[in-house]
Amino acid sequence: MRLKDQVALVTGGSRGIGRGIVKAFAAEGAKVAFIYKGSQQAAESLAVEISAAGGLAKAWQGDVANHDEAMKIVELVEAEWGSIQILVNNAGVIRDGLFVAMKPEEWNVVLQTNLGGTFNFCHALAMKLARQRKGRIINISSVAAEHTNPGQTNYAASKGAINSFTRALAVELAGRGVTVNAIAPGFIETDMSENVRNKAGDLIKKMIPLKRLGQPNDIAKAAVFLASADAAYITGQVITVDGGLSLGAVAV
Amino acid sequence: MPSQEEIYQKVSATLVEALNVEQEEISPTATLQGDLGAESIDFLDIVFRLEREFAIKIPRNELFPESIFQGDPDFVLNGKVTQKGLDELREKMPFADLSKFEQNPELTALSDLFTVQMIAKYIQRKLSA
Repeated sequence: MRLKDQVALVTGGSRGIGRGIVKAFAAEGAKVAFIYKGSQQAAESLAVEISAAGGLAKAWQGDVANHDEAMKIVELVEAEWGSIQILVNNAGVIRDGLFVAMKPEEWNVVLQTNLGGTFNFCHALAMKLARQRKGRIINISSVAAEHTNPGQTNYAASKGAINSFTRALAVELAGRGVTVNAIAPGFIETDMSENVRNKAGDLIKKMIPLKRLGQPNDIAKAAVFLASADAAYITGQVITVDGGLSLGAVAV
Repeated sequence: MPSQEEIYQKVSATLVEALNVEQEEISPTATLQGDLGAESIDFLDIVFRLEREFAIKIPRNELFPESIFQGDPDFVLNGKVTQKGLDELREKMPFADLSKFEQNPELTALSDLFTVQMIAKYIQRKLSA
């Protein structure tokens, strides 16, 4: 058990990649507080599933884009379980569409959730982690930050900003023993990527050298590593986990 | 109001916690950066802790002014703080001991003004204000 008795907070934890991370952290012995916005049923079923497997996880409802809510949730989690050591900023949304037709609301909600949510929880926890002189922040980015498709200006901008933010925050917190890294997933089989997967069909697998879509657990394993003592000397990095997608090779 | 000695003890204890140093390393003339290894985030942490410890409000840039001269040539010339600059320092940081700095006012030595004693004096002024 690599995360035994540590307290972790995972945003966007009820579905997709976040759900995979919550499960993997709990299996490694962490107490996992996870945030969900609307998927109450999925959140409750996840807590039950983890409990049945002998782990401990608890769902907290909240909107990551709201700074006050982030502060409040951190306070409540710490009141219940004590100091948090691991933060995973995973909550993210897409509002794909060509830029010329993009509504300001579609731009704003993506930036406020993906980048703003990351800011809010880092802001709520950074000084606490710094004071503990121990802590791990893991931001979930995307290969779309560097290799993008039409229709994702908002999403790509939010993820590119997360990468830069990750490096900048890593520099500020390193002296206090807190590491800050990002994971950039490729095509992962989740609800969020369903549309793109349906449109692109078999073409996607031709673009992925390892010849399969990623699973949430592929990302979760990287997150466990970054949260564990094994990654103590890694900070300010964006780790790409995409089956080789970003290498740009096309199978012939 | 706490005595000078009590204030100094509390400031020392705050620094031990904020900077993760041993009590023995703390002395009145110890500099925060040079002797005690403080980085920028540590200065903020010290301010937060002092505010709580002494139940006071410390306005940003009052105790640890970051860019007191703003690159103004009236204040700094060829890397040295001018007479006008020294006057500015005296006004902005009346709690700092400038006697040593004045002898060779290199801008790069400015951080040596931030000592344990300087914080204690600042707190005394603040509490008696």
